[in-house]
Amino acid sequence: MKTLWILTICVLVTVATYGQALDLKNLDKLAAKANNVTDVTLDGSLLKFAAKFLSSDNPDQAKVKKLVAELKGVYVRTYEFDQEGEYSESDLASIRGQLRTPGWSRIVGVHSRKDRDNAEIYLKTGGAEPGGLAIVCANPKELVVVNIVGKIDLDELSELGGSLGVPKLDFDKPKPTKPSSKKDD
Amino acid sequence: MSYLEDDLRKALRRTEPSEDFVDRVLARVNRPAPPEPTWWELLAAVLRPPRLQWVALSVIVSVMIPFAGVQYRQERQYRAKGERAKEQLLLAVRVAGSKLHQAQKRVLEVGRMDTRL
Repeated sequence: MKTLWILTICVLVTVATYGQALDLKNLDKLAAKANNVTDVTLDGSLLKFAAKFLSSDNPDQAKVKKLVAELKGVYVRTYEFDQEGEYSESDLASIRGQLRTPGWSRIVGVHSRKDRDNAEIYLKTGGAEPGGLAIVCANPKELVVVNIVGKIDLDELSELGGSLGVPKLDFDKPKPTKPSSKKDD
Repeated sequence: MSYLEDDLRKALRRTEPSEDFVDRVLARVNRPAPPEPTWWELLAAVLRPPRLQWVALSVIVSVMIPFAGVQYRQERQYRAKGERAKEQLLLAVRVAGSKLHQAQKRVLEVGRMDTRL
């Protein structure tokens, strides 16, 4: 009986948090220490409003328009610091905690000891299609957190390659290696 | 004879014109035609106050101008807000895309290093 209750609560929590944005309020205090701050908060209504102003005639903007059609929110926080040590791991603990909840799965995690550069990409899945994306990039002088809420098509995101300064991405299809033209002697 | 016939006879009896009638008719016929009104005379005639239509028009204009001004300002604010939101969206896509690319690059680098080892 107890197990059933725990299972029910887990299911309810998963359903309630599905499609919700990450709580990034914990990062707000870093703005005072940062040299350069980017704070983008676009909830569902503002996102739709912004999409209205994207031109369908401009190919780059048309791609973004298509990409954001089914999104419910886009949240970006970037903090650039003059010195190292202006933020600590504890500042990220709240976000990492949210990303450990059911539904989120880490698809990429890169930790560089040399550059002390960390990059993590999480995907939210609640069905056949991704229900959101979270990116956490941290190096000693920079912290970037991106949260995209809603149905995101990674193919469409990869189609943004080359436009808006976004490099081409290739998630599913690895680049084919060119056959070696060197002849064996 | 009835009174009615008597009245009719009085009303329809021939009356001679006055002696200067012919002179007056001839004077009117020979009078030169009045000159064509110039454009400013026509304009002055139209603009001559007070005319009801001008009062009505001024009331309409005094209501319409502030209304149009408010509408114009609201439209400008709406467009400015939309353009700001669009710029924010493009910035967000740019940041997300570049960070995804960085992560992918790192993964590829690690993959290459593993292959070398």
